[in-house]
Amino acid sequence: MKKVVIASMIVCAVFVCSLLVYAAAKPGFDDKEIRIAQWGPQTGPAAPWGSVARGSGLLFQMVNDEGGIHGRKIKYFIRDDQYNPAQTKAVVKELVEREGIFAFVGGVGAACGMAVKDYLAQNKIVWVAPSTAIDEYVFPVNPYIFAIYPLYDDEASILTKYAVEKLKAKKIAFFYQNDTYGKSGLKGCKSRMKALRMKLVEEISVEPGEKDLSSQMLRLKNSGADVVIMWVNPTSAAIALKTCSTIGFKPQWISSDTLSDYPLMNKITGGLWEGVITGMFGLATSSNDPRMIKYREAAKKYAPEERFGTFYTAGAMYAEPLVDALKRVGPKLSTEAFIKQLNATKNFQGIGPLINWSPKVHQGTDSIQITKCGPNSSYITLQDWTKNELATWKKK
Amino acid sequence: MFEMLLIEGLAIGACYGLFGVAVAIVYKTSDVVNFAQGEMGMVATFVAYHILTVYNFPFWIAFPATMVFAILLGMAIEFCFLRPAKNPTVLGLLIITLGVEMLLMGLAGWKWGAEQKDFPFLLSVYKTHEILPGLALNEWTIGVFILSIVIMILLFLFFRYSKLGIAMRATQQNVNAAKIMGIKVERVFSITWAMSSLIGAVAAMFFAARSVLDPNFMMEPFMRAFAAAVLGGLTSIPGVVIGGLILGIIENFFGYAWPEWKPIVAFVVIILIITIRPSGLFAKHYIKKV
Repeated sequence: MKKVVIASMIVCAVFVCSLLVYAAAKPGFDDKEIRIAQWGPQTGPAAPWGSVARGSGLLFQMVNDEGGIHGRKIKYFIRDDQYNPAQTKAVVKELVEREGIFAFVGGVGAACGMAVKDYLAQNKIVWVAPSTAIDEYVFPVNPYIFAIYPLYDDEASILTKYAVEKLKAKKIAFFYQNDTYGKSGLKGCKSRMKALRMKLVEEISVEPGEKDLSSQMLRLKNSGADVVIMWVNPTSAAIALKTCSTIGFKPQWISSDTLSDYPLMNKITGGLWEGVITGMFGLATSSNDPRMIKYREAAKKYAPEERFGTFYTAGAMYAEPLVDALKRVGPKLSTEAFIKQLNATKNFQGIGPLINWSPKVHQGTDSIQITKCGPNSSYITLQDWTKNELATWKKK
Repeated sequence: MFEMLLIEGLAIGACYGLFGVAVAIVYKTSDVVNFAQGEMGMVATFVAYHILTVYNFPFWIAFPATMVFAILLGMAIEFCFLRPAKNPTVLGLLIITLGVEMLLMGLAGWKWGAEQKDFPFLLSVYKTHEILPGLALNEWTIGVFILSIVIMILLFLFFRYSKLGIAMRATQQNVNAAKIMGIKVERVFSITWAMSSLIGAVAAMFFAARSVLDPNFMMEPFMRAFAAAVLGGLTSIPGVVIGGLILGIIENFFGYAWPEWKPIVAFVVIILIITIRPSGLFAKHYIKKV
């Protein structure tokens, strides 16, 4: 019995010691490297968005090939969280306490991000460009989070304005996912409609996993809408378009940036995506902008197996302002100096919208482009970068 | 609008019913709800997709090849995972099917990736035919109606009159007595899983044609098909199909009137019916006596 007690005490002591060892965050850089990390679903249901994390890796590889930043190479870690917040917590903790991370970039998943937001702030780790638009990230200002993803209500507001003023839509319906993402879009659309003294003819929600949308689409058809704005996931969008095709309902579809991967959407809808209008907060992958050309060439060299889609380039876009701020910090790197430079970001132009951060505003932009899916999944730009003049957060 | 809601409800309901039949067949012989049924159908659909898009074979080759695969998959799962279980309880077998579900989903994600795909099905959801004056149905709907009626009748006759069907029912009622009567119960289980997998694969292909193909695409249809089967009565094949039709109609009409309640209204109705008739609407209620 005595032996068992002693053995148990030893095990407990080792366990407590190991906890102490891993409880504190390791420094995220040294003279040779800066450790940057990102979580993302590399497997599981959301794995198509996993290319975001790999896209950030493309830019870091390019930076390292050019000699790094002030003599330091970027050591980049990707961890698969399977789009599961519990898993996100585990991988982020492991990265921070075992590897020592200077900053996180991107990070797909609203719930995943929310699960680690406070932990990162407690450990004074900067998180640049979360790969989703959540009010809680930036309102009130979190000194460690710097967002560039346009808020969904801003995007919906701009798209609604386009539908009314440019498409001359008389009857607009809204089809949305019954969660924060969908409801934010609905809020933005309604605020614009109110400003235009109009009302939605129909607003219909859908649960993310629903596979039969016939009754919802019949109701949209019955509303007589000439434009339907949808704020749903790719699967729901594909089912909606297929169902409408069978019931003979052909409105002008408008959607958020989340469905702007035209090759993917055209593939899963059997070609029905052609003609759909979407918001875009990054340049089209086919753009002839010198920055995009550079990424295309780099992707051929470093990741020839990767599909050069919008999610992949979004990863690079998220990492751009991070790299820019690191360059401006100079050789004397510290978290404080990095935050100071991020807060001083003014009119930064990468392959996304102009980004501005200040100590008081960490929502970097409210601008989107408006594009249309053309033949062979091509991107037709309908409207260049547009701001939401109704954005309430800018007036605070 | 009323006719369209009715037809769309019946069509998706027939699909639920068809898939529910696959669940019911396994249940009829072993009292086990196969939670891997959806993923078995999903993997078979991916195999069809692979044959169609990677090997570029026509549908008339891909379809029978997939059916053969589905049969072998059902038998393999029964042989590799269910049969080795020593003195299994129903709960134990159920947990095994949950494990198989995870395994198949992981396998599909590894092999075909998680990105959604469009499944090129033979029957189009866009092409319509006027089968009666003023009544036009798309090919998918016509196909699912015909198939579910044919399968329901064939299975009903099979379980009622064929030797194998009677052996399957006997095995479900009392395994030991069936063994004593000379029924090779292991072979019965194997054939049951093969049949279930085959029907599940056909239904899964119908679901994929209407939505998109990815490793998760059968999770939601499985839940609804299972609910439909419980509603109709898990031991009654015609009951399962009718349960599916009722579910489809309820969902569509309520979904039209109150879209936000659509995902749950059918389940509420099912709970109410099960409270009154625990074995479902069309199954006989057996009480096992010691």
